Amino acid sequence: MLNLLKKELKLSSSVLSYFFILFGLITFFPGYPILVGAFFVCLGIFQSFQYAREANDILYSALLPVKKSDVVKSKYLFCVFIELCAFILSAAVTLLRMTVLSSAPAYRANALMNANPAFLGLTLLIYGCFNAVFVCGFFKTAYGFAKPFIRFIVAAFAITGAGETLHHIPGLEAFNAFGFDNAGLQIAVLISGAVLYTVLTLLSFRRASSLFEKIDL
Amino acid sequence: MSIAQVRSLCKEYPSFTLSDVSFELHKGRITGFIGRNGAGKTTTIKSMLNLVHPSSGEIEYFGLPLKENEAQIKQRIGYSTGAVNYYPKKKIRDIVSVTKTFYSNWDENAYREYLRLFAIDENKKPSELSDGMKVKLNLLLALSHRAELLILDEPTSGLDPFSRDELLEVFIELKNRGAAILFSTHITSDLEKCADDIVYIQNGKIAASCTADEFEKHFVSDGESLEEAILRMERGVKNA
Repeated sequence: MLNLLKKELKLSSSVLSYFFILFGLITFFPGYPILVGAFFVCLGIFQSFQYAREANDILYSALLPVKKSDVVKSKYLFCVFIELCAFILSAAVTLLRMTVLSSAPAYRANALMNANPAFLGLTLLIYGCFNAVFVCGFFKTAYGFAKPFIRFIVAAFAITGAGETLHHIPGLEAFNAFGFDNAGLQIAVLISGAVLYTVLTLLSFRRASSLFEKIDL
Repeated sequence: MSIAQVRSLCKEYPSFTLSDVSFELHKGRITGFIGRNGAGKTTTIKSMLNLVHPSSGEIEYFGLPLKENEAQIKQRIGYSTGAVNYYPKKKIRDIVSVTKTFYSNWDENAYREYLRLFAIDENKKPSELSDGMKVKLNLLLALSHRAELLILDEPTSGLDPFSRDELLEVFIELKNRGAAILFSTHITSDLEKCADDIVYIQNGKIAASCTADEFEKHFVSDGESLEEAILRMERGVKNA
């Protein structure tokens, strides 16, 4: 499994995928819809799919002494690796905003989504959607990525829109509570996001493997 | 000894059908796979590598069905095609360093030997190589893990006559070491130079699968070269 990930990191990826991990730092921005950072991280991964197609990576991988489903596994491993790197970055910034930066006026007067565990849960949901909608959709053909990416854009912005709207609905302000107020509820959202991320990734991996098995290269 | 068997392979496309393709590959023998463009050579080879899904038929290597033993079988076979350009902007050194981690039988000495023979600079990128050198790079990767069977899709296309001759010498050396080779080609002189067996495909059907001597006996008329015989057979199909 490690050699599959090494192949992705060394041969099949675009440098933009690594660079775009830094969009996890968008979590620092006050007065900005910070969930968009997760979308940019996915945009970076998308660049690697483009690069890999130009480099005949899928055919090369399918000719290696691995099962066909391992070709799919290697792409999922790469996506999960980048997503988790960006998630750790966002989580670290979230922690800073909730602790040492908690008294900063810009964060106190923030009209948009605050960096808190609920935000991290929604970030994971966006990553899960990328794996389920884009990566799985790509393996229908192992070639076409425009339609799956457009579908992902719609899903990502729907989640971002919902995340930014939810806490303005009376009674749901707790989702966006500042600092450690309502931490229990927000951690529940984070755990739900983690569970959904895992389920979406695993189920879509199975589906993508089955789709890839059926196509002729 | 048969090390690969293709039995009753069929593949249907809207405008082309591969029907009932059967042949065997033997240890220590070179098999030339010949046929005109679109005859079904690449479809057959891709089916043998599980890249396309045959409508029916069986493919076995070393007595094992391909479907259930794909990873294990691919450790023991090598594949190269002249046309495809992998990772054009990566250094050859990096491509090799990743590729070799997948092969338990990777032979660093053999790799160095073929690197010298093919005069490939590891610090170059595939995009910096000529078409002929790209063919050699693909062959280098296929030859460096002690493959018992090499499946080569038009390995001599794009090579200059000297390199082609050098490559055919490599095939003969590998055959003498016990490897089996299947190579598709349009160049009949390549067959005359080194093929022990010939598989001839016409319009998706096997027209002949026999030793080179038998092929000459049954299909080549007196005073006719192999190329002339194949051209005559192709015209026969076209006129039929």
